[in-house]
Amino acid sequence: MSELIFTPVIGIEIHIRLKSDSKLFCSCSTNTDAAPNTNICPICMGLPGSLPHMNHRVVEQGMLAGFALNCGIRPKSLFFRKSYFYPDLPKGHQISQCDLPITTAGYIEVHDSEGKLKKIRVNHLHLEEDVGSLHHSASDGRLEGASTSYVDYNRSGTPLAEIVSEPDVASAAEAVEYVTTLRRRVIYSGASEVELEKGMMRFDANVSMKCSDGRWGKKVEVKNMNSFKALERAIEFEIKRQKKIMLQGGEVMQETRHWNDAKGVTSPSRVKESYRKFIVEPDLPPLHISQEWIDRVHSRMPEMPDVRANRYVHDMGLTQEAADILTDDRKVADYFESCVNAGANPVRAANWIRTEVMRVLNETQKKIADFNIKPEVLAEIVKRVDDKKLSTTQAKEVFDYMCANNAGLDDSVKKLGITEGGVAGNALNEIIANVIKANPDVLAEIQSGKDMKGKKFKFLQGLVMKESKGQAKPQEVAEALTAALKN
Amino acid sequence: MELYELDLYDASNGIKEKKFSPAELFESCRKRIDSCEDNIHAFITRTDDKAPVIENPEGILAGVPTVLKDNLCTKGIRTTAASKILGNWKPPYDASAWKYLREAGAVLMGKVNMDEFAMGNTCGNSAFGPTHNPNDISRVPGGSSGGSAAAVSAGYVPFALGSDTGGSIRQPASYCGVYGMKPTYGMVSRYGLISYGSSLDQIGPFARTIRDLQLVMSVIARYDPMDSSCFREKHYDFSHSEDVSIKGKRIALVKEFQNFTLDTPIAEAMKKTKKILEDNGAVITEVSLPIVSKYAVACYYALAMSEAHTNLERYDGVRLGYTVKDAAGIKEMFERVRSYGFGSEVKSRIIAGTCLTEPSRCEEYYVAATKVRTLIAQEFKRAFGECDFILQPVTPSLPHKIGEENEDAMKGYETDLYTLPVNLAGLPGLSFFTGYDDASKLPVGLQLIGPRWSDPDILNTGVILERHLGSPKIANGGVK
Repeated sequence: MSELIFTPVIGIEIHIRLKSDSKLFCSCSTNTDAAPNTNICPICMGLPGSLPHMNHRVVEQGMLAGFALNCGIRPKSLFFRKSYFYPDLPKGHQISQCDLPITTAGYIEVHDSEGKLKKIRVNHLHLEEDVGSLHHSASDGRLEGASTSYVDYNRSGTPLAEIVSEPDVASAAEAVEYVTTLRRRVIYSGASEVELEKGMMRFDANVSMKCSDGRWGKKVEVKNMNSFKALERAIEFEIKRQKKIMLQGGEVMQETRHWNDAKGVTSPSRVKESYRKFIVEPDLPPLHISQEWIDRVHSRMPEMPDVRANRYVHDMGLTQEAADILTDDRKVADYFESCVNAGANPVRAANWIRTEVMRVLNETQKKIADFNIKPEVLAEIVKRVDDKKLSTTQAKEVFDYMCANNAGLDDSVKKLGITEGGVAGNALNEIIANVIKANPDVLAEIQSGKDMKGKKFKFLQGLVMKESKGQAKPQEVAEALTAALKN
Repeated sequence: MELYELDLYDASNGIKEKKFSPAELFESCRKRIDSCEDNIHAFITRTDDKAPVIENPEGILAGVPTVLKDNLCTKGIRTTAASKILGNWKPPYDASAWKYLREAGAVLMGKVNMDEFAMGNTCGNSAFGPTHNPNDISRVPGGSSGGSAAAVSAGYVPFALGSDTGGSIRQPASYCGVYGMKPTYGMVSRYGLISYGSSLDQIGPFARTIRDLQLVMSVIARYDPMDSSCFREKHYDFSHSEDVSIKGKRIALVKEFQNFTLDTPIAEAMKKTKKILEDNGAVITEVSLPIVSKYAVACYYALAMSEAHTNLERYDGVRLGYTVKDAAGIKEMFERVRSYGFGSEVKSRIIAGTCLTEPSRCEEYYVAATKVRTLIAQEFKRAFGECDFILQPVTPSLPHKIGEENEDAMKGYETDLYTLPVNLAGLPGLSFFTGYDDASKLPVGLQLIGPRWSDPDILNTGVILERHLGSPKIANGGVK
């Protein structure tokens, strides 16, 4: 009997918080860090009599995110009421989209296990409102078993984009690349900051297994993944679990499972999925988006990271690896381009950013936007090295000093006692005179002709180099020292 | 003549011309309320205990008292929708329509009774007990805006606001003998109106003269960005003029409705009104509405209940209103709050709405109803290519006695056939007074319907009808 081969079939649903100062259906602030229940109004509290109205700027954010996923925009889309009861859901239904969402289909490119590019199809992106947040007094922080629970509606009504993929993902690694690439592109588009640590991106995965003997396992929905790592681990766990069941001849049950990050396992959802129904949201007319509006928003789309990386490789001579690293974060890529625009050699600027800048950012846990050395200044450092005004060692010393002391370039050079262009002429002669003066015994030895192998000469030469802090050229030192000894 | 007997027009002019003060008018209305309220029970919450603060003394409605149906939110004043579930909730905001009245100088006397969440047509499905018809206190005032109609009919106030989802302004106006206008959907902002069926609900006025309806409409028909279904294109002119004509207007009767039996006083009123229209140069014609007559009632209830059950999902005891503190868990809390908080009619409509939108039935009922609704709107559109207005009854019979509600729920629904289609198509409808039935002395009303946005034209036609049919008198309110 030949060995059974199992192929995972994975679809991913992603919720992303869209960048917006105001909520989706009212004008409340989206600042969820404010004191609980301070950014609320009758609309996002779902008070009787209140009605939602569309925040058209959020619609534009949704369009940008759609463009980033290569989706089209639908000229007419509809909103629905998704009903279920939960204390964080003030109206008892969430306003979302199902039929006719704002975008049509799109795709994201990832590398398969053989390193070839493959498309993960995006079924659609739709807009919906977020719910409030619950705080439970129970020891496990969950609603059940809590004696008291508190609801904060600051988050209620903040805008979300839900992105639903087709089941094109074949492994946990592909899943991670899919969400990483997607996140990067969405950030580039300006639709969202997608700060992972702030929970701005949440994942659900639909996992099923296809077996080479023709069996096809049922679909399992895994919920509650809030990081790339959790997504990866949950999918890996689920693949193993389902494979084991199928190998034993069992049948995978269609169910919703909950990812427990601490234990690293999925388990059947404790709360049975509420029964959900959809009716058209009668308080919101269909959302009409004209071609003119689409074009206007599309004109705001920046160059996407892959296109940018290609340009770095083909126009600037960077390696693919360097280009990928620089374009990973749009702000780093922007920094790099500012550097190049200020006159720095692209390859060397790229090296500086990849090594020195990223090292410092990593060490200080800073973002590039808060980095004290502006791109124009880094460009100047790179140029001075190219012009031989600074040696590479000196430049790094200056760079570190600037970072550590939040100092300017010229000040740092001065503070470190570096003479740009090296120590020569009178300055060099002065050092030599001092070195000779301080070592009369060595001088005597050389002058008596005992330094047959030139060891003593080299010793003095070393001292001079040291005194010049390495800024003198060895050849010049040798010549000047020979001349001085002759006198 | 007492000041409370004045219509809005004369009351407002009297104040402007300093014939009497707002305080005197207020006092007169308050005394009238005191003398009748035990018989009528129109109020849920009275706010007339202290002298009024007039927000805008220069406003067009400066110093004129009014009441609001208790599903219109009033900042800091209890708003119940006649339900236990809202408890003593005091909204933190005003409904836009009330805000416009307030800013025009109107003074609030209180919040009036209704069927719970506007579900009903008797004003008897209220957690606060029934309201009585001021023309005969043994009878229902109609509903759901029964409190508003009764308050205007009894002379409590010259005008009031109500809401109409399937006839809830027009039917009580007719039962109580006042004028009631259900405007075109989108003509008046719904912001702050506690929703029943969002795509059907519309706020409108009650008054004892057509010119008063025109005056109130001129204040409340305004674009409001808080209601996405509110009009934004143009300004509608509701100014009153006696110099109006219906010469050459085609006023149609619905062919399919001619087979239905009407109580004699209503049939007589139809005859009388037709003649007046003809005498004034209108042409009486006939239009056919086969889909409306066959499917409107089923379509209406499918949509209204589907929307209602989602609109009422927000009453869970978490944020406001009635709640329980000792529930064992969140599920028990929801169950107990909603079991106790809602009345039985509301519960039955929630259950119906839940069933109608359940995934396995949704296509067959809810989705089908949305399609039928489109056909109904198209049918009316075609009909209004053949006529300018449609004349028809509001109800087939006069108000029944309290406690004699029709046991057969489906039969009760059929009496709504004259009012429901108007909401499905978003049309304007005027319920107008035609006179008193000789035998019962009860008022008899009829209905004039027009195409969308024809509200000013309907009211102009109402001016002619009022001139020939006479204006209603203030009902005795059970006071001998």
